[in-house]
Order: sequence, then structure tokens, then C-alpha cells
Amino acid sequence: MTPIPIIVDCDPGIDDTIALLTAFVSPELEILGITPVCGNQPLDRTVRNALQVCELGERTDIPVFAGCFRPMFREPIHGQFHGTTGLGNTVLPEPVKTVEKASAVDFLIDTLTAAAILQKRITICCLGPMTNLAVALRMNPQIADGIERIVMMGGAYREPGNRTMTAEFNVLADPHAAHVVFSSGIPIVALALDATHQVMLKPEHVEQFSAVSGRISQTLAELMAFWDRNDVRRYGSRGGPLHDPLVIAYLLAPQLFQTERARVFVEHESELCMGQTVADWYGKSGLEPNADIVTKVDAERVIAFFLERLSRYAEKAVA
Amino acid sequence: MSRARIIIDADPGLDDAAAILMALASPEIDVLGLSIVAGNVSLKDTVTNACKLVGISGRTDVAVHAGAAGPLVRDQVFGKYAKIGSFSDEFVARGGIVPSEEHAVRFIIRKAREAAEAGDSITICAIGPMTNIALALVQHPDVARGIRQIVSMSGAFTALGHRTPWAEFNVLADPHAAEIVYRSGIPIVVMPLDMTFQALFTAEHFKSFGDRGGVAGGALFNLFSTFDRSDVARFGRPGGPIHDATTIAWLIRPELFISRKATVGTQVTGLTMGYTYADFHQKMGRAPNAIVVTDVDEAGFINLLIERISLYGSSASDPKRREA
Repeated sequence: MTPIPIIVDCDPGIDDTIALLTAFVSPELEILGITPVCGNQPLDRTVRNALQVCELGERTDIPVFAGCFRPMFREPIHGQFHGTTGLGNTVLPEPVKTVEKASAVDFLIDTLTAAAILQKRITICCLGPMTNLAVALRMNPQIADGIERIVMMGGAYREPGNRTMTAEFNVLADPHAAHVVFSSGIPIVALALDATHQVMLKPEHVEQFSAVSGRISQTLAELMAFWDRNDVRRYGSRGGPLHDPLVIAYLLAPQLFQTERARVFVEHESELCMGQTVADWYGKSGLEPNADIVTKVDAERVIAFFLERLSRYAEKAVA
Repeated sequence: MSRARIIIDADPGLDDAAAILMALASPEIDVLGLSIVAGNVSLKDTVTNACKLVGISGRTDVAVHAGAAGPLVRDQVFGKYAKIGSFSDEFVARGGIVPSEEHAVRFIIRKAREAAEAGDSITICAIGPMTNIALALVQHPDVARGIRQIVSMSGAFTALGHRTPWAEFNVLADPHAAEIVYRSGIPIVVMPLDMTFQALFTAEHFKSFGDRGGVAGGALFNLFSTFDRSDVARFGRPGGPIHDATTIAWLIRPELFISRKATVGTQVTGLTMGYTYADFHQKMGRAPNAIVVTDVDEAGFINLLIERISLYGSSASDPKRREA
């Protein structure tokens, strides 16, 4: 079977790192490039973290392209649960790998233009604010023809927000970009807090991951331990929601997820509800659905999926 | 004095045509290229029009770069004269010019970053919706560092009711882009309707373009005579403004204008979307981000534009030969 060509647009980030490490050992995926953006951390940090994670995962063959250094319109905001470097307390070696000369936006435009011509469409995995993709779409709208679909982590529908009362971080950080992407007509699978809050990475899981993950075991355990929100009132248990990795799990094991189609709107005008995502579950808007929203996740089997994937770092040959 | 190195970011458009032809004939200005955006008409038509203008100017060394086909966030709106579409061959001859392969946004990023590196920053004359410039600014911090100033035909502070009761067209067409530019930290020179409405061109002036300006002047005569912009009810006398050309005149002859510092911004949502404010009296407690040009020497500006267009009619000062 030919692997699925993907571009990972991200802002690493602890959960981005777990997503990348999972994708790195998944031969079903062909990672054409990683495009870090300003998000959980400022751009120079997310780029550096992406390079370090490529080295950690021994996938220095994957090119990293620096994305936009700020959101389309609003002032930058950064994540609150990733420590000062974006990787918790984990210190990774100074990267030897360097960032590509081309920008992320140019890489997206050139790669997707070629994909449209060859009719070999690419899946975009969005793990951060969607600034890079939105800017690329506004520069060259026809690149939409080169995109198979967008599988994105972001938004909050029936679940409250995680950065404001109503907004999830990735959408709040660039609501205008999210509006552009959801208005693009490109097929979208949305993994919002509604889905990710169903998959809690608990302390007992951290031990299991640590036990199986071979040469990345110590780093992975550190990152996962740092991720514990320790907020039982909010999440119903210890641990942290496994936001970004679900994008990779969805691509490789879609049978573990249930979706509902709906039209999605992104609030980008009201300061109170800025970044809120609104789903038209019952056809009130009169507009066609534009997204498959994940509503239910088989959490136990998703955790098992990640354990199996990350155990591949214990094997001799990887990917 | 060294020549001002400029990129003209435009959506031609009638008055864009006058501004572009004026710049291409002016020895004080080194036009690095034209970055074209959708605005008055669709991107396809603004690009066609820009290519035709470069063709009739004889300045085939100046590249035309196609940019954004629509605004950043809001739904697209076109100009009052959108029905013009692309300039007919009868009005503006086809010159065999084709647009560059390089996207306008990439062109702006490349030129600005090169300028930042060389310590020799450039000027952008923004005479359309500012989508291209905004898309360049979000991609790398060096873009803003490489831009000395943005001379922007935009906004209306007391002269309201251009396109809506509140908004001037270039801002209305992409208010988010305008606000990104205003807040960019780059020195902004704003040429608002309040000022551009002070200089009214009449049939007599258009005739001067046609009589003295060769092929290029003839094209301007055709365009302005056909699409009459005069509004006696509004202006109280005959004639119509050529808004965009004031940006070029300001670069060449700043003494023709009076300006004041102000904090400038725009409303990006709601009923008054595109409304621009200028805080001349520091009521907002924010440092001024712009120079707002409030007055123009009408005769001085009109004569300057006619003088520059006339250069196309005099072979001795053919702009193409002067470049060579």
C-alpha cells in the first residue's frame, strides 16, 4: 500500500511532540515536511523544538520549514502547559539539523500546487494555529485542489474552552486563520476538545509508555509526566488530554473514532467569545456541512494504539 | 538625493493607472515592481490592466506580480467602477507584457528582506486594498524592517460617504489588512479622501493628458473622459479626484502637502466596518503611528501630474530611453 502523503503543521509543544514521534514510526505515512508556526511557543522555539524532535526520533530526513511568526490579525498568545521551552522540563541536545531555507508558506504553496497538477493530493495535519495554511490559501486559493483533506486539532463544540470560557487555544490563537480554513471548502476532520478530553493520559499510562518506548523512554516519560494537569474537577481524573496525537491516531485508526457532519463557524468578531467554534448540528444555518467533527473516541484502544506505536522505539530498526 | 526605491501595490483601476504612469515617468523614483491585488476589479483584470499600463509606459523593465485574489477575512467587494473590468484595447493598447512568475507577496517579502539585509529600506505605495502587504508582514519580522515607509491611499476622517456612509473603498475592501498595516510599526503616510477630494481634475486636464502625453496620456484621456468621476452635488464644482496619484506626488514634491501626526486605525467588524479614525489630539493615549496628509496644493498637484504624463509625449525625455 502506498503511504499517505502528509504535511505536519504544528507548534511543538509537548503534545505535538508525542504526535510527531508517533508519526515518525508509522510507515503508513509519508511525512513530506514539518511546518512549525507561532503558537504554544514563539516561532523560534517551535522551530527549534521541531528540529530537536526530528533528531530525537532519528528522522532528520524530514525537512522542517519555518512558518509565520505571528497570527494573521491578532497579537500572539502562547500555551500555558508546555513549560518555558515548550518541552516542559526536558532539555534536548542542541540541534545539528537546520531549518530549510524556504518558508513554510512557500513550501505549502509549491508542494500543494505540484500535488494538484499530479492529482496526488496531500493530507494536512494541523496541530497548531492554522496561520500557515490560511496565509497560503489567501495567496494561492487554487492550492485547495492539492489537499486531500485537513485533519485538525482545535475548537470546542459541546465542551467549554480551555483558554477562555468558550475558546480552545489553537483557534483562539488565530481565529481569522481558522475562519479562512473552515470557509475554504476543503474536507476537514475536526478533533476538538469534545474528542481530546475523552482521552486522558493518566499517570499509570505514563509508566506503561516509559516501560515500552526503548531509547526515547526517558524523554517521553518526562514530557508525559509534565503534561499532567492534576485537575480532577475539570477532567474527571488525573492526567492530561492527548490533544494533538489524536490527529495521527485518526489517520491510522479511524475505526476508533465516531464523527458527525456539521457546518462549523468560527467567531472572529466578538471579544467575549473570540475563537469560539460553533457547529450547526441540526441544519439551522441552511448551509452545507463543512466538517466531520469527532464526537466519540474509544479511549482505551487509542491509548493501546499509541503504546504499540511508541514501543517501536525499542526495536532495532525504526521506520 | 538618492531615488526613492518603491513597490507600487495597486488594483488598477482608473486612478491607479494615473499613479502608475506618473511614477514610471518620474526620475526621482525607482519602481522596483508592481504588486497587484484584487480591488477595484477582479485580480485577473487588475493584472491585465497593470500589464497594459507597463506596456504603454515603455518601461518593460518593470515587472508585474499578481497577488491576492481577495481580502483576508471579509467577503469580497469591488469598486464603484467594477463594470469597467479590464481596460478595453480601444482605450489602452495591449503591450505584450505578461506577469512575472513570482507571486506579489513573495516579491514584497524578497525585496523587503533584501533591503533589511542591505540596510537600504524601501517604500511601498499602497493604492489598493492592503491584502498583499498584510500577507507579507505576517510571514517574517524582517519584512517590516526592510520597509522605510508605506504611503497609503486609504481612509476618510471627515470626508465620509465614499463607498458606504463610513468607509473609503481601499479600507472597506480589506479592513483587516489595513489594520495590520497601520499597526505594523512601519511609518505610515495616510492620503485620505479628506485630502484627495481637494484636487479636482476636469475635462480640460484630461485633454492635457491626451494632447501632451503621447500614447500613455491618450490612454488616461480615454479612461477618465469615459468614466466621469465628477460629482458637482458633492464637491460643489466640476471635476473629480485622482486619489492614488497623490501618493506619488507626495514622494516627489512633499512641499505640495500639509500633514499632521495622528494615531490611525480602522473598525474591522460590524455595521461601521472600514470606518477609519485619526486621533490628532492624543485622546487614545497611544503614540502616533501615522502622518495624515490633510491638505494639498490643488494647482501644484494637478500641474505636476500633467507635467509627468507629458513626458510620455516628448521623445527627448522618453522614460525608457532615460532609463537606458
